[in-house]
Amino acid sequence: MTIQEALMLNGPIPNAADALSVGLLVTVTGLIIVFSVLVILMCVLVGMKYIFAPKTKKAEKTVEQVVTAPVVSAENEEDEEELIAVLTAAIASSLNTSTYNLKIKSFKRVMNSAPAWNKAGLNDTINSRF
Amino acid sequence: MLESLISFAQSTGINALIEMFKSGNMVEAIGTPIMLIIACVLLYLAIVKKFEPLLLLPIAFGMLLTNLPVFSGAIMHPEFFTDPQFLKADGSLDMGLILHDGGLLDLLYLGVKLGIYPPLIFLGVGAMTDFAPLISNPKSILLGAAAPFGVFFTFIGALLLGSLVPGIDFGIKEAASIGIIGGADGPTAIYVTKTLAAGLLPAIAVAAYSYMALIPVIQPPIMRLMTTKKERGIVMEQLREVTKTERIVFPIVVTIVVALIVPDALSLVGMLMLGNLMKECGVVDRLSKTVQNELMNIVTIFLGLTVGATATAENFLSLNTIGIIALGLIAFCFSTAGGLLLGKIMCKLSGGKINPLIGAAGVSAVPMAARVAQVEGQKENPSNFLLMHAMGPNVAGVIGSAVAAGVFLSMFAG
Repeated sequence: MTIQEALMLNGPIPNAADALSVGLLVTVTGLIIVFSVLVILMCVLVGMKYIFAPKTKKAEKTVEQVVTAPVVSAENEEDEEELIAVLTAAIASSLNTSTYNLKIKSFKRVMNSAPAWNKAGLNDTINSRF
Repeated sequence: MLESLISFAQSTGINALIEMFKSGNMVEAIGTPIMLIIACVLLYLAIVKKFEPLLLLPIAFGMLLTNLPVFSGAIMHPEFFTDPQFLKADGSLDMGLILHDGGLLDLLYLGVKLGIYPPLIFLGVGAMTDFAPLISNPKSILLGAAAPFGVFFTFIGALLLGSLVPGIDFGIKEAASIGIIGGADGPTAIYVTKTLAAGLLPAIAVAAYSYMALIPVIQPPIMRLMTTKKERGIVMEQLREVTKTERIVFPIVVTIVVALIVPDALSLVGMLMLGNLMKECGVVDRLSKTVQNELMNIVTIFLGLTVGATATAENFLSLNTIGIIALGLIAFCFSTAGGLLLGKIMCKLSGGKINPLIGAAGVSAVPMAARVAQVEGQKENPSNFLLMHAMGPNVAGVIGSAVAAGVFLSMFAG
């Protein structure tokens, strides 16, 4: 049975074998068309990438550096993961790269040796920005 | 005085109900109260359970309105659009009759029947969609074939059901409309159904929107069944940034490509891309806001209300509806499975760089399906963020199901 004949029926296809063959025919044709549209769009997108995308040099360097973290309050051991996440994000943003390219190997706390008035002034400035 | 009271009593709905029982038309007499109960259940699902309330609420209320027993002043006449008795000899709509005798909802329903609302909704959807994840990872567009997988397999299922089960009369056009449920895209399903099988419109719309709301329930078991723990835990590389030029060129190019290959999908895809262009170009912010909010909301009300209003007892209470509800679930499952399968193939081909879960997002149903992929990925690996990766296949699914709709229309319409 062809698709045209099935359309002429204007109702269910009486024979299950016919129904299956017509269904498969439509399915195969349909999937081929859908796939080809998607593949063409994919090619177009890949083409667009070469024409319009900014030329980025591969930033695959793993930055290894010891970060000195002037943390004001005393952190607990359990906060360490969170702290590392914050450090990674901060470094990534200051180096203009992705966090994926960074690996924090170690960090060292440095004592804040600034005079008390400086600290107070810094806190004031931070608080006024909230 | 008494006479006018009597004539008023005769015009009430209570009298209409009594007459209905007297007339012996049992489908209407028993069916009407059942339809009212179904409408109330749907209202409950929309309001209390929050199943796609923005659509289900108008649909359910439309159902309620159309099934209230009245003789004169009925606001909807579904028979004007489907019953050969009211159509012109060549099967086209009798516009004069509709404009002259039609009620409020008949006139609004013209927007569905003439294929106006679904493309307008797509305009809004386009303005809300971010295609950047797709542009930055072109391969993920292939996962958009997940939705068509479900669509075509359900199409075969519906054809078989039609030929094997006596009470169900699914011909090739009905089967196509039911299959489109697998595209998990309400407007597309409505657009195809109103052209190919208008009688099934309410059942298909209700099935499509209900299953879309149930995506977070339907998908996870299939995802867990088809992927290994290790695959679900794959962390994908961060996406590259997409320039503004690319964002602007994309909708224009897609429109041209789709128009050249599947012109029947153009009214859906064209509107989707116009909406997206409005959002991305940045010079028509006012228009973009309007199509995302006001226009979309207005059209949603009209669409939901009138689609619900086509659900009369004889249209809705049949074996066909049960068949559609069952096939709709199968459609969603097959789409998900197809997407996962494609995802697994791409995972193998890419050497384990692609998490197969994002394939399941290819069923369309933006953004629910992408969110499900994100949640499932995070269950295996709490530091895994799949959302943006899943948005690529997710929006590709919209394009895929619109193209599948175009294929059906070009084969069967007319």
